[in-house]
Amino acid sequence: MKAALRGVKSSRAKALGVSVFVSGVVGCAGLFAFGGGVASAQSHYQSSSGKEVKSVTFTQPDRPPIVYQKPSSSLIPQGRTLFIENCSTCHGIDAVGSSRAPNLQGLGAATIDFWVYTGRMPLADPTVQAIQKPRKFNRQQTLAIAAYVSSLAPGGPAIPSVNVAGANISQGESLFSTNCAACHTITGVGDALANNVYAPSLYGVGATQIAEAIRTGPGNMPRFGNGTLSNAQVADVVKYVLYLQKPQDPGGISLGHVGPVTEGFVGILIGLGGLMLFGYWIGGRAQR
Amino acid sequence: MDKRVEKTTDWLDERLGIAKGARSSLNKIFPDHWSFMLGEIALYSFIVLLFTGVFLTLFYVPSSQPIIYHGSYAPLRGQTMSEAYASTLHISFSVRAGLVMRQMHHWAANIFVAAIVVHLCRVFFTGSFRKPREINWIVGSILLILAIVNGFIGYSLPDDLISGTGIRIAFSIVESIPLVGSYLAFFLFGGNYPGNAIIPRFYTIHVLLVPALIVVLLAAHLGIMYHQKHTQYPAPKRTNKNVVGSVLWPTYALEAGGFFFITAAVIAALGGLVQINPIWLYGPYIPYKVSYAVQPDWYMGWLDGALRLMPSWEIVGFGHMIPNVFFPAVLLPGLTFTALSLWPFIEKKITKDDQVHNICDRPRDNPWRTSLGVGILTFYIVLFFASSTDVLANTFNTSLNFVLWTFRILLIALPPVAGYVTYMLTKETATVADAGLRKGPVVITRSEDGEYSTVVTDDDSSGADVNFELIEVPEEREYRQVVEGNETDRELVGVSESSPSGDNGGVSHKKATAQRSGGSGIFRIPRNLPGGGGLFGGRGLKRQQRDAQER
Repeated sequence: MKAALRGVKSSRAKALGVSVFVSGVVGCAGLFAFGGGVASAQSHYQSSSGKEVKSVTFTQPDRPPIVYQKPSSSLIPQGRTLFIENCSTCHGIDAVGSSRAPNLQGLGAATIDFWVYTGRMPLADPTVQAIQKPRKFNRQQTLAIAAYVSSLAPGGPAIPSVNVAGANISQGESLFSTNCAACHTITGVGDALANNVYAPSLYGVGATQIAEAIRTGPGNMPRFGNGTLSNAQVADVVKYVLYLQKPQDPGGISLGHVGPVTEGFVGILIGLGGLMLFGYWIGGRAQR
Repeated sequence: MDKRVEKTTDWLDERLGIAKGARSSLNKIFPDHWSFMLGEIALYSFIVLLFTGVFLTLFYVPSSQPIIYHGSYAPLRGQTMSEAYASTLHISFSVRAGLVMRQMHHWAANIFVAAIVVHLCRVFFTGSFRKPREINWIVGSILLILAIVNGFIGYSLPDDLISGTGIRIAFSIVESIPLVGSYLAFFLFGGNYPGNAIIPRFYTIHVLLVPALIVVLLAAHLGIMYHQKHTQYPAPKRTNKNVVGSVLWPTYALEAGGFFFITAAVIAALGGLVQINPIWLYGPYIPYKVSYAVQPDWYMGWLDGALRLMPSWEIVGFGHMIPNVFFPAVLLPGLTFTALSLWPFIEKKITKDDQVHNICDRPRDNPWRTSLGVGILTFYIVLFFASSTDVLANTFNTSLNFVLWTFRILLIALPPVAGYVTYMLTKETATVADAGLRKGPVVITRSEDGEYSTVVTDDDSSGADVNFELIEVPEEREYRQVVEGNETDRELVGVSESSPSGDNGGVSHKKATAQRSGGSGIFRIPRNLPGGGGLFGGRGLKRQQRDAQER
């Protein structure tokens, strides 16, 4: 090969090189310090909040982990009215069910409370999985309906009240990863299962509803009775699920806790994409 | 200072004879083009990987030994876990800058493989693998395989629930190879799954074996490139026997050095600001536990997608069933990487082209290769997206089975369509005379009838002279009649002030020079035309009348 030609605009190219170098060094140092500072500040903050968690893990022997309470029987007349207005079309006046809806007798107050208070009932479309909607009834109305239905026949768990402060979060993590993560995913964001069935996200669900879901097994979810999980274990799982709704994210932006899918998109689009823009700045277009 | 440097270099030159080599090296020419920077991104992110990786080895414990965790992360305290996982928690929560280093390492790995893939596409679509660069193509292909393998192994080292599931899948894939599968799997894992051997073995492979291979092959890759000199895009004065570009010292060295720091900066920003692989949320790996929706890192996505899309066929031969997993997870990557490595020879078989090529093809100049490449790439992109079927189904509230079948159909249907469309587009651009040429600046003029035309200027630095007649447009004539009705008001109107002649209200029949207007650089409207002054800078007739009245 012949000796190479020098670049035509060598002084301009040199200036570009210098500016690239300087901005690269400055940017690198700055961002590294900034990123590291943010990350370490966050981990510092998180570790102090971790200590708080430790201080509340003392078990409180005087309070049981879960108290099951029947809603007050004085609410039954109100509940009967609400039930007839809103539920009886499908479930029947005595909640014995129909060809469209199941029998509710003997299911207990917890089942009714879960379905109604998470907004799943009344149902919009009976052919697909019930979705979580904005709830139609307030707390008292929900309890009233639960009181009415549970007064029709004995059986089923009453409404649980969870002693979250006394629960063990580490036990909860272990039980959650064994029993729940296989459908709800390990971060609790939920996911699509086969054939239009899905495991809902666990974000934004209260302690009582989590315990109710565990004890009653709504929809496709299996029921975890007293023989499978003790009351203390249910309280542990509830505590961990509540933690998952706002977990420690010392690494920065959480990307929705979806895992490698969003991470891959950020890595390719922002990481590589951004670097390619810098490369375009340095390398430029073809000369003609 | 200069004297001392001179003395030192003289001393070295007299003993080692470095002057000759150094001079030719410093004057080495590198062509400028953005697409030649892609491989550099890979190189620089690999350097970041080495630095951050060394930091991590200082704290990581490659052991499957179960211990009870007593660290600072409360939701896992008191649980039994492997030392590997506990030490990764320690790095994330207790080691100073440990988390940012771990996250930088992970982001750098994602960017490293991505940059290799984009670099590979550049080399493929420009035909830079042709004679004499076939060997370097093979070296590059092996580097890609090594990068993917090492990425997967590094992802597995924390021994968390999700990566542990990945190792479980890898074990089954090795087992699925006919005849030797179970022996090979036991050999690799030191017994049945999971065993205690795999984490220490993966560690040795990840930090010693594969990085050493990558360094050696990378040196060969760069050495061959240095020796053969860089390819360049076709342009005037560029031939198959020269290289046009910037000299290594000082121009290119500064650009490349700066680009290294920019790469490190982007990776550091991601590592510090965006969380990746929060293993503390995943918990320790225990074989009977599993999380739904487990995806691998993106570069394994196409293999995961292939596993998901494969129908559950059971193929029986010679009285033995070939495991279903074998086809998508062993056969597909095997064929992929074989065909990839041998592509220069396959193309040579077809084209019978034995010429030396130092000038790149533009992708549009070679419709067959480009459309074939786009088709094949589409196939892998569909597989890649198929690895997120569950996330897509959940995000768009649709059925998982529907998404799965959509991807199965797209996998067959999309590559030919994409290839055909690319072929037609490349053919189309071949018929356009100045396709891909940069547009020069123009002056836009308007005739009395309202017809617009453009005049190309030949130089973009100084608003070149364009010869055109200034004419009186109808609006202006109307305007002049309004203005000339009142002599005293004339001077108050903005147009007469800005007109070059000044005597008849901005109407000029003289030759004028186009001047740089305040507007966009492409649409230059001469400022001395009435109503001009930038794209939308002209004042309307009514506005001017109103202004005049106000005064």
